[in-house]
Amino acid sequence: MIQFWNKRVKEGILTENTALDKELEAIKRKIKENVKKKFAGSLAIRMVDSGSCNACEAECNALSNPYYDLERLGIYFVASPRHADVMLLSGLMTFNMTPHVLEAYKQMPEPKWVITLGACPVMEAPFEKTFAVKAPAADHLPVAHHIPGCPPEPLEIIKGILDFLKKI
Amino acid sequence: MRLIARYAKEREGTFEIVTVFESKTQREMISKENPVIRTLAKKHPSAIWFERKMSDDFGIIIEDAFDKRPLVHQERFPKAIHPMQKSFQKNTLDFAEFIPYKYEAIQGDGVFQVSVGPIHAGIIEPGHFHFSQAGEDMLHQEVRHFYKYRAIEKMLEGKTLLEAKPVIERISGNESIAYQTAWRDIVCQAAGTELPLSLRKRHAFLLEMERIIHHLTDLGFIPNDAGFGAALAFASKLSEDARRQLQKVTGHRFGFDAIGFENKVLDISSLHDYLEGLQKDIVFFETWIMDIPSLWDRFDTTGILQKADALKYDTVGVVARASGFPLDRRLEPFYLEHGFEIQTEQSGDVAARFKVRLQEVKNSIVMMQHFLEEDDTHIVTGKINDGDYTAFAESSLGELFMNIEIKEGIIERFFVRDPSFMNWQTLHLMMPNNIIADFPLINKSCDLSYAGNDL
Repeated sequence: MIQFWNKRVKEGILTENTALDKELEAIKRKIKENVKKKFAGSLAIRMVDSGSCNACEAECNALSNPYYDLERLGIYFVASPRHADVMLLSGLMTFNMTPHVLEAYKQMPEPKWVITLGACPVMEAPFEKTFAVKAPAADHLPVAHHIPGCPPEPLEIIKGILDFLKKI
Repeated sequence: MRLIARYAKEREGTFEIVTVFESKTQREMISKENPVIRTLAKKHPSAIWFERKMSDDFGIIIEDAFDKRPLVHQERFPKAIHPMQKSFQKNTLDFAEFIPYKYEAIQGDGVFQVSVGPIHAGIIEPGHFHFSQAGEDMLHQEVRHFYKYRAIEKMLEGKTLLEAKPVIERISGNESIAYQTAWRDIVCQAAGTELPLSLRKRHAFLLEMERIIHHLTDLGFIPNDAGFGAALAFASKLSEDARRQLQKVTGHRFGFDAIGFENKVLDISSLHDYLEGLQKDIVFFETWIMDIPSLWDRFDTTGILQKADALKYDTVGVVARASGFPLDRRLEPFYLEHGFEIQTEQSGDVAARFKVRLQEVKNSIVMMQHFLEEDDTHIVTGKINDGDYTAFAESSLGELFMNIEIKEGIIERFFVRDPSFMNWQTLHLMMPNNIIADFPLINKSCDLSYAGNDL
């Protein structure tokens, strides 16, 4: 037990150890305010991968690790488009995936927004247009906001969500 | 004799069917007028996906195949289009009429079907699983993929090796360094350049870094799928730390553009400190996790892949090693001299795959300490010569096979076989005698790539 308290006093909360912590704290405060004001304290995101390399998904998963812990701000990744306010779309909109992405969008209740994530959905990744690629996503869906990067780092995703919240 | 890959190349007037076994490569020429071959799937069941892909890509007919369904081309893909043929140059396609896919399904009284995906319930890549169920019991499961098919093989044709690199390293984000390593070996072969030891060490260090990030993530997610979320919190912190170290060393959290021919000076003492800390954490994690009976009740005897099946289906990577099959591309003098020890288990269940990952993290830390070296070598590769080049790399998922043919300085044919392409085909063998609630756990214990598989 003593060992535990020693460690707790010495190390504190894990998230307070990052170099970017001050910036992160400020962003988090702003996000919390915005989510409270515009989404009654709870913003639900349905992440849809339309053909990425999986790096964007790994970074979104990282948002749940103890450093970022996005749920503290009232932002949740949900399992069904029917529970979602926002579709977070990564990937190239492949030929095979496009009908499913459009179906998922159709299933979301109004009002709804699409945020594109990473270089793929806007065709900025080095991938080229082939017969199997239907990107850019904006040709198929009304995109409200874009978060750039290949992939965007977790902090950039958080900032991107904040920018989106300010915009609407 | 282990089957590694089977694929086609287009020649003038003929198709060349290349079949790569562990100890030999067979080539067969067939005419374009009558492109018929016989299946290899009776001896090597995993050949069936390769052959179905060949049919989609080139229109090659597998005369005696038991499964002639399209593989890559899905319900709305126009029929009679074979996009890997050189004559196909369109870069856009319209959706065709919906033709339902016939799933393998067991029929019977009280037997029902469950479909999962392509969009799954979590933050995960798209794919589809089709179950035949009797109550909770899984009778059969079929894996169906290629939702992420981006036509990478076609995309890379006509590019130089250098131009192709940014795409190659983004085929699968989890295996970027492994893909770059295979690319590097092909560049070295084509240029007749020998890689200095210091660069090999740097690249090997990065490859192990990528492996531990992937394994650490899984060491959290596997217990999480068995209802033990605390492990996810702990291991995801470790994997985040590792990713930040990778960013410090390469400038990128996934190591994109990390493998080149220039050695940059590393902050060795801080890396040693980091590795020492990780070593302590992983020992703590192991002691903690091995002592939670409810967890091992879920892990033990769940999702068994028998050794005979692992062999018959030509599996690779963690899946093969956990079923007692000591297969690893790092079994070579360079790695063995730097502390590599192959990690195997015998039981082939979720527990075995979990333990193999845990031991591999510990072994990787030891190797990484040996790979650290102060050096700033910079080499210039020679001119790229035309030819047919093959390379292997051991990614965090298993053996990666890459073949690039260069003609007049540009890529004539690019072929890559991700380890997942073999292992996805064995997933259904692990399902009988388990309930559907075990499926996510079994799937996660294999943690296969969708992006690398679908290309």
